[in-house]
This record gives sequence, structure tokens and C-alpha cells, in this order.
Amino acid sequence: MDRLLTLDPVAIAIPVFVVMIIIELLAVRMGWRGDYDWRDTGTSLAMGLGNTITGALLAGSVTGLALWMWQHRLFDIPVAWWSFALCFVLDDLAYYWIHRAGHRIRWAWAAHVIHHSSQHYNLSTALRQTWTGLFGLTFLIKLPLFLIGFPLELVAFCAGLNLIYQFWIHTEVIGKLPRWFEAVMNTPSHHRVHHGTNPRYLDRNYAGVFIIWDRMFGTFEAERADEPPRYGIIRNLATFNPLWVAVHEWVGIARDLARARSLKTAWAAAFGPPGALSGETADALRAQWLAQAGAGAPQPTPRPELIPAAVPAE
Amino acid sequence: MNRIDLLLFSVIGVALLIGLARLLGFARAPVLVDAALAARLAADALPGFAPAETVISRDGAGALVAARDGRVALVRTLGDRFVVRPLVHPLVARAGAVLRVRPEEAMFPETALDLGEAAASHWAARL
Repeated sequence: MDRLLTLDPVAIAIPVFVVMIIIELLAVRMGWRGDYDWRDTGTSLAMGLGNTITGALLAGSVTGLALWMWQHRLFDIPVAWWSFALCFVLDDLAYYWIHRAGHRIRWAWAAHVIHHSSQHYNLSTALRQTWTGLFGLTFLIKLPLFLIGFPLELVAFCAGLNLIYQFWIHTEVIGKLPRWFEAVMNTPSHHRVHHGTNPRYLDRNYAGVFIIWDRMFGTFEAERADEPPRYGIIRNLATFNPLWVAVHEWVGIARDLARARSLKTAWAAAFGPPGALSGETADALRAQWLAQAGAGAPQPTPRPELIPAAVPAE
Repeated sequence: MNRIDLLLFSVIGVALLIGLARLLGFARAPVLVDAALAARLAADALPGFAPAETVISRDGAGALVAARDGRVALVRTLGDRFVVRPLVHPLVARAGAVLRVRPEEAMFPETALDLGEAAASHWAARL
């Protein structure tokens, strides 16, 4: 087990990613469900490449903080199969909340929006990753794992496996999987919902590996055959420029902060939900859609939010 | 494999995949074939947007859609998809039949709409 942890699972998986994208390209060309655009794919892959570079450059600072937390750990957890299994599940739970915060707090969304900025949904979209993840600060949610006592290399290994798992679910080629699998695991169907901008699908299915977190915390939405997801973001970008893709929401925050005339507005601009200033939050869009759809539309289960409450739009 | 080699192989892999996607024909240029499509795209993208009037560029690469509440949206192509923006204080310039529109947004490219003389004049006044 110790020797296994010296490996970087993501680095090992990269050639597999390439082969799977080639297979998906050919499958779609032969008529399987899905779509590609070479310019969109180029941007997605450029973002993935940039992510590996910025990740390598900035990883040290997070590692230092994690190490400091681990030095103050509550338990001495050994590297073993049982601790690996436990760490994998808890890491996935932490991922759920990191991901949820990434959608509900604009500061974190500025780092995560990159992954949603394609109007396509294919395996190359999986690699469209942020260059500014560290600045989104959502990694703080994972720090308790180190305080509990999980060794750094074990958490890093589990996070790598989690990332690899999420690659294959970014496809339209696969429809629905057996019911027992869809009930427990995150699947292409569940994650297509997550990438949808349809009001019904907004801010749903945050799961990484296990969809049970969404079912537990009231954020699950099943994909409907009569409502295919419209992929992308509320205001889809009008450029393929990777640099703009990487920083556009940060620029938006800076612009809104510069224009803010009150602390309340400034807070909403930076830490409110995305769309707080324009009134186009996911909750507002869903409420508007539900009002238009009338009684026929299903009501999402209201759940207490653990994320700070939305500041009213101005 | 060290990090530099890994980066080099990644760059080669990226170039290979982009080239393959291009080679396989994933390079469509969509066309706005009718007003209904432009109106639907605007209504899907903008909450509460009820299209009332639409004009399409002769090349099918862009359109303007006016809503019942007076808002106007620009619909234009990007790659093989469309993007939609509500026009609030856009930059507008008319040269004969062509209306050049640019939303007040960084990195949003100017869109040239070939609408015909009369329509270009009408929509320029409206914006």
C-alpha cells in the first residue's frame, strides 16, 4: 500500500484519457450520441494543460498548510486498506462540499466556472480545468481530513482516483446505466444534469464519485428524456481564448467590486451566489421557471443551506 | 518520466487530438435558418425573454431579437454553437445595409449583421 501511494494516478491515467477521447471522437463520428467542435476541444485541452502547470507550481503552498494541520492531528491513522477506503469516502464527501461551494459562492465559482464554460459535453470537457483553483479557497474544506490524521499522500492518492473517476462520466455516448449503479454512483447521466443550464438542472448533482451525497443533502435531480440538458453557463462565453476562459469571472468580480457603492453590494459581488447582482442566481432562475411552468413542474426539496445565505440582488 | 517530458508529451497529445477532431469534420459553422430559431435561442438563454420581433443577418451568422418588454438580444455564432447577449448600451455602427454591434462586454467580438438598408436603419435607431 505504501509503495502504491508513491504513484501519481493522474499522470499514469493521462495516456488513457487521450485514447478514450480518440475512441469517443470516432464513436460520435460513426453516429453515437455526442458532439465535438475542434475549437472547443482545443480550448478544453489547453485549459487542462494549463491546470497541470499551475497545479505543479502552486501545490507547495497547499501541501505546507496540509502538513501543518497533519502535525496537529487528532489520531495516528496508518496507511492500510481500511484507512484507504475510509479516506476515499470522506475525501469524496469533502469534494461534494467543495463542489457545492464552488457553485454557490462567486469567489469559488470564479475558479470553477472554467469547467462549465463549454457548450459541449464530451470527454475533452472533463479536462477543461481551472488555472486558479488555489485562489478559489475551496481546498480549505478538505483540511479537516489532515486534522483527523489521514496522511497527506493517502489523501492525495484518493483525490487523484476521484479525479480519474470523474473523467469517464463526461460523455453523452453512455446513456443510463443499471439502476443499482445509478442509485449509488455518479454516472454520465447524473453529471450531464450537473452541466445543464436548464432551470430544472441548475446547481444539481455536485457529486464526485458517490451520488448518495446529493440524495442525502437534497441536491439530486434525475436526467429526463424529455428535457435534454443545454450545456454551458448562463452567459456563454463568446471566445475560445484560454486566457479569457481562465480569468473572465475574476475580471467580473473586480469590475463589480470597483462599481460597488456599499459594503453589502461588494459582499454580494465577491461572496454572494453567482448572479446575485443581476438577479440571475440559480435559485431565482429556478423560481422564475417554476412560476412560469405552474403546478405541473416538480418542486425541489427545500434544504437548509450550509453555505452563507444569498445577499439580496441589487 | 520527468515533468518536462510529461509536459512535452501532453502538448503533443493536445495537438494530436485537436488535429484529429478537425480531420474528422467537427468544424461545423451553424446558420440561423429562420427567425423562429433565433427567437428560441434568445428565449432559452434569457429568463423571461418573450420574443416579439426578429431580424436575421443575410449570411445567417447573427440576429437581433426584440422582446415584448423592449429588451433586445444579439444572437451570434461561436464555433458550432450560438451565444446570446442582451444588448444594454451596445456599440453600434451602421454602414449602409450592415449593422455592426458589440455588447458592452470585454472579449465579446463585434458582430456584423447584413440586414438590408431599411432594417439596418430601423434596428440602429432601436439600439
